[in-house]
Amino acid sequence: MTAVRRARFFRRSVPDAVATELDFHVAMIEHDLVRAGTDPAEARRIAAARFNNRPTITAECRRIGQQTERTVRRTLHVQEFIDDLRFAARQLLKSPGFALIAVLTLAIGIGATTVIFSAVDAVLLRRFAFAHPERAVFVNELVMHQDGNVSAGNYVDWVAMSRSFGGLAAEEFRNVNLTTSDAPERVLAGRVSANFFPMLGVAPLRGRVFAGSEDQPGNDDVVILSEGLWRSRYGGDPGIIGRQVQLDDRRHTVIGIMPASFDPTVNDEQLWVPIAFTPDRRAQHDEHYLTVIGTLKPGVTIAQAQADMDGVSRIEAGRFPKDVTGAHVVGLTTFITAQYRTPLLLLQGAVLLVLLIACGNVANLQLARSSARAREMAIRAAIGAGRGRIGRQLLTENLLLALVAGAVALGLARLGIAALRANAPQGIPRLEQAHIGGGVMLFAIAAALGSALVSGLTPALRSTRRDLQTTLRESGRQNQGAVRDRLRTALIVAEVALSLPVLIGAGLLLRSAMHLQHVDPGFDLDNVVMARVILPVGTPAEHIVTVQRLVDDLAARPGIVSAAMTSQAPMVPGGTSNGLLPEGKPFSQENLVQSRLRLVTPGYLGTMRLRLKQGRWFTDQDVAGAPLVMVISEAVAKAMFPGENALGKRIGCCEPNSYKTVIGVVGGVRSDGPAQEIVPEFYLPLAQAPADAWSWIGNIVSVTVRANTADPAAATAAIRAAAHDIAPGTPVYRVSTMRAALASTLEVDHFNTLLLVALGVIGMLLAAIGIYGVVGYFVTLRTHEIGIRMALGATRGNVLRLLAWQGVRPIAIGIVVGTALATWATTLLRSSLYGVTPRDPLTFALVIGVLLLAGVLATVIPARRATRVDPAATLQA
Amino acid sequence: MPMLSKDRLRGTLDVLILKTLTWGPRHGYAVARWLEETTGDTLTIEEGSLYPSLYRMEQRGWIESEWGTSELGRQAKFYKLTAAGRKQLRVETAEWQAFVDVVSRVLLPG
Repeated sequence: MTAVRRARFFRRSVPDAVATELDFHVAMIEHDLVRAGTDPAEARRIAAARFNNRPTITAECRRIGQQTERTVRRTLHVQEFIDDLRFAARQLLKSPGFALIAVLTLAIGIGATTVIFSAVDAVLLRRFAFAHPERAVFVNELVMHQDGNVSAGNYVDWVAMSRSFGGLAAEEFRNVNLTTSDAPERVLAGRVSANFFPMLGVAPLRGRVFAGSEDQPGNDDVVILSEGLWRSRYGGDPGIIGRQVQLDDRRHTVIGIMPASFDPTVNDEQLWVPIAFTPDRRAQHDEHYLTVIGTLKPGVTIAQAQADMDGVSRIEAGRFPKDVTGAHVVGLTTFITAQYRTPLLLLQGAVLLVLLIACGNVANLQLARSSARAREMAIRAAIGAGRGRIGRQLLTENLLLALVAGAVALGLARLGIAALRANAPQGIPRLEQAHIGGGVMLFAIAAALGSALVSGLTPALRSTRRDLQTTLRESGRQNQGAVRDRLRTALIVAEVALSLPVLIGAGLLLRSAMHLQHVDPGFDLDNVVMARVILPVGTPAEHIVTVQRLVDDLAARPGIVSAAMTSQAPMVPGGTSNGLLPEGKPFSQENLVQSRLRLVTPGYLGTMRLRLKQGRWFTDQDVAGAPLVMVISEAVAKAMFPGENALGKRIGCCEPNSYKTVIGVVGGVRSDGPAQEIVPEFYLPLAQAPADAWSWIGNIVSVTVRANTADPAAATAAIRAAAHDIAPGTPVYRVSTMRAALASTLEVDHFNTLLLVALGVIGMLLAAIGIYGVVGYFVTLRTHEIGIRMALGATRGNVLRLLAWQGVRPIAIGIVVGTALATWATTLLRSSLYGVTPRDPLTFALVIGVLLLAGVLATVIPARRATRVDPAATLQA
Repeated sequence: MPMLSKDRLRGTLDVLILKTLTWGPRHGYAVARWLEETTGDTLTIEEGSLYPSLYRMEQRGWIESEWGTSELGRQAKFYKLTAAGRKQLRVETAEWQAFVDVVSRVLLPG
């Protein structure tokens, strides 16, 4: 493109060029006329007359000329950029070692950042697949000022009385046995009102959604499958629609399939059936089991909807004073992602710090290289390259590095995301959808460009500022004046300061995890194995017999110390909760103590090794017909009978006009895991279970077994065999040791800890590598000086101290700055910490010690090299 | 099928200028003079058509310009044919030939 090249040297403005050209034309006309014998004055007049349309010509030529110039300028920039890129590629290929290390460092940083961002994107940012996710809300009932489930009666009244919602839909979760032709499979079903799908505005993948007429008892034998179940169980066969499947004991016709993206409550329900309230249900206000989802009418805010529901609740509370206290409207997205927001954003912050440290290291490498290239730059400046031009060239090199690093990073991120999805704990909503999509791709590109800027700007500025005469004159010998290189020192300070908050955060989480190892769960969980068992269909009396036979059968097997049944084992989410009312107090919400119900067989105390604090535990005599008895935990005793002896007191609960006598008090159990508070609990003998209780627990019980070894194999086999003996085909599932169940309550915390520790260690290693590089560079520069010092009698110790100080001083400053940063940053961790404060001095001290040690090692190793300098050799050089 | 249109008339000036420049770089005035002389002054080249034509062809990359010193010792802009311009000239000439052939077959039969 020769026109382009020429334009570089000729920068004449377009109007000026046009005027000059036309002036010349007029002059030539005059000139020719004069030569042909015309009088010069006359010639000028004729020429001017011929050119009477000059303004028009000028305007048109200017217009076209300016267009041309714009095009040329654009091409010129692109051309320069391509030249720079080509040159940059050549330069980088000339030092492949540098290029490789820089690309890898950046790629790891960008890749890690991208992996975490993909999780942030999937869990927090991605829109729910509804028509208007921003309008979707949960409407919860308030139970003792806490969000709880909704009764069918309240739901029906809310639909009739509220004014703020485009729709209110109800869903009940229930485990069901799905049988097609082979063995039954246990799946989670969502029983939903007919408006559930249309309200959220999601079309089925195939088939149709429920018709209003199907949401009626007797007409409700239809089922909609999730895409996941459809693919895994039915191989994605479209012919499944119209076929029949069996759910528990009833046949249902498959009418539709919902797409995988539809996941309204992130409970992973695998199929939906109509909820089909009976008239009895519609009038029931005291059983709270529904999840209510609504959509706000356009323009209605959550606060307005809350005010609306407050009004509705006041009317309802007047009608059902026992059962209604209030309603809580909360954004669906907020509610689902709230608890993951802070940990994920903290990880994102931490990984960005690590990326910055990586950039620091690459900047450092660049500096080392730019010193080596100082002559090249000076020569280029001397032959006329402008400061901006050289700076741009260096930035282009970084850009190329970053783009290559970004491409490698995307490859690494793909592996990282797969690893994240495979290893992340269950139950983080929507994490399984993390992938490299458009948003994540853009983020990776932005991270790469940002890295190019951060790691390239400082060296570029510095290279262009060098005095070229000095550099050219110095020719061979390295520049002694650069020894106290402020920029390099600043990089060490920054890297240390950035890595410290990440390391301290990791340290705090580790301390917290160690603390949780030693938290007393309130029972002895070693050697305990548990499993869920679905009892064969039967009456409550038959259930009690089955359970008793199962327990006796189990306890008699070899390797089993004792066995028991409970409606709900600790460390497993779920269970029902009841309001306890002390005898003699009037019924009101204030007098009720909410407490978790555990129906147990007498062997439970011994099997779990609960601590009996007062009174006695259940015996085989506490059966139906005998006086009704109850054991409460210390927390319940304290809440209901402060300063009194709870033994012998009577408590109303669980069924109308029934009081049970407290016969014992047991120590509290951390049933939700060691990270959670002790849960108020009460125990009833399974043999005295209230009639309704069997429907609360859905005929499912947990068997708990204490084995005589830590190996769960024998106990697991025993549980399966015993269940088979009692009733062949009885489903046994979720078999697990108590230890594993406890660990799974901590899974999310542990995973966060693991990630943050990994990031902290990577950050520290990068910082150490950076320090090593800088100190090594200083040592090389000062070899000559060290030679002189040693020749003049300096000892190795003197030299080592001198050089070490050069590295240790910025490390110390970095630690001071980093500690200040960390004191602020760790407060963000507060909600993730147990048994340790965000400013735990011990953690701070230990982490600073470790970082200092790493820094000093990174300083001393290259510094020791200097002490091996042979003075004679250096001085002769 | 070639057609006689306004574009063709304007295109005709373009192609004449391109042809002129095959003899070497020239400034605008020289191009006009050369064309007038070659046609025995039957063709008058309007400045109002000449310069816009030159600028347009430069934009299209058919010709390129360079400032130089003219016979009067003044700054003048010299135009030069590019490879693209040479190709354009070949195409236009062939089209012109085809056009003339067709018209001739009608107007001058035999």
